[in-house]
Amino acid sequence: MNAWEMVSMALISLRTNKLRSFLTMLGILIGVASIIAIVAIGNGGKAAVLGAIASGSAQNTIQIVPRELVAPGLPQPGQVLAIDESDLAIAASFSGVQQVNYTLYGTAVVGSGNRSDNASIEAGPANLNELTRLQITRGHMFSQADVIGHRDVAVLSQSLANKLFGSGNPIGGLVTVSGVPLQVIGVAVSQQASLFSLFMGSDALYMPATTCQDLFPNWSISEMDVQAAPGTNLQNLAQRIVTALNIHAGDATAFADSSGLASSVGALLSKVTTILTLVIGAIAGIALLVGGVGVMNIMLVSVTERTQEIGIRISLGATRTAILFQFLVESATITAIGGLAGVVIGSLIGLGIRMATGIPASVPWPIAVLSFLFSAVIGVVCGLYPANKAARLNPIEALRYE
Amino acid sequence: MIELNGVRKAYKVGDELLMVLHGIDLRIEEGEFVSIMGPSGSGKSTLMHIIGCLDTPSAGEYRLRGTSVGGLSARDLAVLRNRTIGFVFQNFHLLPRITAVRNVELPLLYAGVSRAQRRSRALELLARVGMADRAQHLPTALSGGQKQRVAIARALANDPALILADEPTGALDQRTGLEIIELLRELHSAGRTIVVITHDPTVAAAADRTIYIVDGHIQREEVRRG
Ligand SMILES: Nc1ncnc2c1ncn2[C@@H]1O[C@H](COP(=O)(O)OP(=O)(O)OP(=O)(O)O)[C@@H](O)[C@H]1O
Ligand SMILES: [Mg+2]
Repeated sequence: MNAWEMVSMALISLRTNKLRSFLTMLGILIGVASIIAIVAIGNGGKAAVLGAIASGSAQNTIQIVPRELVAPGLPQPGQVLAIDESDLAIAASFSGVQQVNYTLYGTAVVGSGNRSDNASIEAGPANLNELTRLQITRGHMFSQADVIGHRDVAVLSQSLANKLFGSGNPIGGLVTVSGVPLQVIGVAVSQQASLFSLFMGSDALYMPATTCQDLFPNWSISEMDVQAAPGTNLQNLAQRIVTALNIHAGDATAFADSSGLASSVGALLSKVTTILTLVIGAIAGIALLVGGVGVMNIMLVSVTERTQEIGIRISLGATRTAILFQFLVESATITAIGGLAGVVIGSLIGLGIRMATGIPASVPWPIAVLSFLFSAVIGVVCGLYPANKAARLNPIEALRYE
Repeated sequence: MIELNGVRKAYKVGDELLMVLHGIDLRIEEGEFVSIMGPSGSGKSTLMHIIGCLDTPSAGEYRLRGTSVGGLSARDLAVLRNRTIGFVFQNFHLLPRITAVRNVELPLLYAGVSRAQRRSRALELLARVGMADRAQHLPTALSGGQKQRVAIARALANDPALILADEPTGALDQRTGLEIIELLRELHSAGRTIVVITHDPTVAAAADRTIYIVDGHIQREEVRRG
């Protein structure tokens, strides 16, 4: 009797008691499905966070901020240091540095016609959209020429555009900031929205750094964006620039590399995700254990119910090993099918979450295969005691059993 | 074929030993048709279980085809039951949830016969006992006589030399019972050794020899033919 025949025999036997087999399977199914779903979401969440951080800092760019800025855009009340022209010149003097840009953050009232709204202002270089992960949905981003020429142009966040222009077309329209009219050249959606807009609000206006300095001469530069040549060791360069800036400021802790800050936040977030995954995974593991106990219980009932069948099989020449295997295979078949269904349903849950939230939930295939094998192993382990009980039955007493 | 020397069997009931067989000496030759009679509780089934290698004697020796069964391993005994012995029971003992043909296939399954060969052999056996048209029926859809025919087909699966039948007609009406006995007689003429336990004198009379057991002793025997 080969393995496949044993499985098909087990299937025949399980089919004669469909509801019971299904209910027994359910415990394993739920356990495995939740493990798969949790792994998928955990993986997806981690990928989303890391992805946001990786693309948040544009390629070959080092972001340097005054130490007192915990994060870009959040000025501290006690802040004494700001970046000035001499700092930018120091950074620009390093070899391997192609360009040094800077960004300013603040808030201002933005008006259009009789409507107005309090918005956050983000002003920077022409690649500000890469630095802050903006996706231009209409019009275009401002150009290097706009920055050099101090042009009065602005890109609005989608929500700000909606507030000021309603359903009308904002492109080409005018908005006033600090009494100066700016021409709207683009609308953008922040791809960090899900992560940061909770704290920052999503009404934002983006403009060239030079224009912003004209409008708000007393705003300080809050971030330096150093564009390095491709292939540069960014970490090393960042360290050298920060050291030079600190010496210039006469304060060993004046500046910090905030791209490093971002990645350490990322590391923390991914650690939290891992811990959460482990905790919920442990709970799912307990569910699986309970499922396994259910399988054992049902197999014991089944062995008792089928005592006479076992006696008959022994009288027909079944060895103890054959009886043992019959029940082991039956138990493993239940849990393996439950595990397989669990993998499928868990993956579907992951897919559903991916479609509903955009978190790139995915199940690595080794995890899926492992879960399946593990559920089969649960079947074998939990079937061992009942199967052994069956194999040890006295044939005559078993035959007599009613 | 069968040789018992001083076979005793005792069961433990609570703290006491209940002696069921008190030293049975018995020889059954290859190709004999023997019936065993005796009052209820006299130990007939116990004797048959020992002969069928489902149970072992408490004392004494049992030789099957010259081999002392006492020295065999559990696996060897299983092989003996599978290849050399075919059982027929009073209550048929078909597995209720699988079809007639699958029931007949069981001994072939444990003998390691391939799926296709199992099926063709089982159908052939069912045809031989007149049950070809009921191969796909579940036992619950068969009458008592039909069940017993299927059970006999199953007992014949591995072409065993010895058929042991414990009251094979006990659950059947007279006419059906006689049909079953006729079937056993045919198997006997084909050269098989047959041992039938029965309470029915007409069934017993079909055998070459009848052994009477009372209280665990062989009281007497009656030889008709052979
Ligand atoms: N496992 C057992 N434990 C204790 N006593 C048993 C056991 N099996 C059989 N006995 C006893 O052994 C005696 C003989 O039983 P057995 O079944 O061999 O009788 P029998 O001759 O086949 O009777 P019947 O004609 O009613 O089938 C009975 O008294 C029975 O109670
Ligand atoms: Mg009996």
